[in-house]
Amino acid sequence: MDVSEVEESSLQLDEKLMRFMDQLELLEEKRATLNSLIEQGWFSMSKARYSMGNKQVSVLQYASEMEPLVCVNARMQDNGEVQFSTERPTQKPSKESAKDLRPIDDIGPQEEGVRRRNKPKKEKTEKDPREDASSKKAPEVKPVRKREHNLQQDPLKWFGILVPQSLKQAQLSFKQVIELSAEIATLQTAVLNARQELKDGLKNKHAAEERLSSSARQGTVPSKLRVCAIAHC
Amino acid sequence: MTPAVCSSFSSSPADWTAYRADPLRSVRFSPLHHRDSVMAGRGKLIAVIGDEDTCTGFLLGGIGELNKNRKPNFLVVEKDTSITEIEETFKSFLARNDIGIILINQFIAEMIRHAIDAHMQSIPAVLEIPSKEHPYDASKDSILRRAKGMFSAEDFR
Repeated sequence: MDVSEVEESSLQLDEKLMRFMDQLELLEEKRATLNSLIEQGWFSMSKARYSMGNKQVSVLQYASEMEPLVCVNARMQDNGEVQFSTERPTQKPSKESAKDLRPIDDIGPQEEGVRRRNKPKKEKTEKDPREDASSKKAPEVKPVRKREHNLQQDPLKWFGILVPQSLKQAQLSFKQVIELSAEIATLQTAVLNARQELKDGLKNKHAAEERLSSSARQGTVPSKLRVCAIAHC
Repeated sequence: MTPAVCSSFSSSPADWTAYRADPLRSVRFSPLHHRDSVMAGRGKLIAVIGDEDTCTGFLLGGIGELNKNRKPNFLVVEKDTSITEIEETFKSFLARNDIGIILINQFIAEMIRHAIDAHMQSIPAVLEIPSKEHPYDASKDSILRRAKGMFSAEDFR
C-alpha cells in the first residue's frame, strides 16, 4: 500500500540522515586533528630553520630528482564510495632501477676532461673525436647511475647529514598528516554519497506522497487510509 | 575466448564480425572484468599545491615525484605565481590518472574556487588544508558547502 510505502521511505530517510550526521561529525573531528598536526609540523620546521639557518630549510634544498616514498590506493566500491589508503612501497632493487634509468645528459663541456697525453698515433687517427668523447663519457656515466639508485632516499638527507631533531619531528608530523589525508578523502566521498542518497530518498518520498494524495482525491483509497494520507501530507 | 562466452554467440557470422570489431573485446571477455568488480587503483600519487612551508613539509613526508621524464606532482606557490599557472597546474593534476589526492592550501583554493567547484569526480579527491597565515575555514570548503547545502527550506516541508 502507498501509505506503508511513505512510512517505509520516511524510516529509511531517518536512517540515512543519522548516518550522514555521524559522518559529518567524524569528518569535522578528523579535520581538527589534521589541522593541529600540520601546525605542529610547521612549528617543528620553524625550529629547525632557526637552528640550521633560514635558507637551509627551503625550496633550494629540494633534490633534483625524487621518487615518492608513499602512494595512495583508491578503491571504488559498489555503492559509489571510494576508499583511500596509503601505502609505502618497498625500495626497488638496484638492478631494476638501473634498467629503468635512461642515460642522463651530462651538463658541462666534455672536451675539458683529462686527455691522454701518451696516446698512440694510430688510435688518434682512427678514432672519431665523438668516439673519443663517448669513451671518456662511459666511465663518467657509471658513477652517476650508481648515485641515481638512491632516488628513494629519505628526504631528510636533502637538508644535510646531521639534521636537528626538530626536522625529524616535522617529518613525523607530516607523515601522520598524509595518513590522515587518505582517511579524510574517504570520508568526504562517503559524505557526498550520503548527501546524494538523501536527496534521492526525499524525491522518492515526495513522489510517493503525491501519488497517495492524488489517489485519495480520486476516491480510490479507503476512508481510513485517506485520513492517514492527508495527515502525512 | 572462454567456453562460457562461446556459448553466448550464435552461429551467425554477424556476431563474429561484431566481436572482432569490438575494440574492448580483450577487456569485456577478460575473466577479471565484471560489472561489480572493485576498481583497485594501485600506487597513485598525492599532489600538493601550496606555499613553501606546506610543500616542504609534505615532501619531507615522502610524496614528491620529480624526474626528467614526468612532470612534478607539486607546485610551490610564491608571491609572483600567477592564478593562471595555479589553475593550469590544478587542471593538469585532474587530467593525470596517476594522482589520487590533491592537497591544496585553502587560500590558494579560493583563487581557483570555480575550478574546484566544477570538479565533481571522486578521484582525485581534493582536500583543502590551512596555511600558516590563513587558518582553515569550514564555511569556505567546497565539499562541506556541497554537503551542508542540501538542507534547504523545501526539504523540511
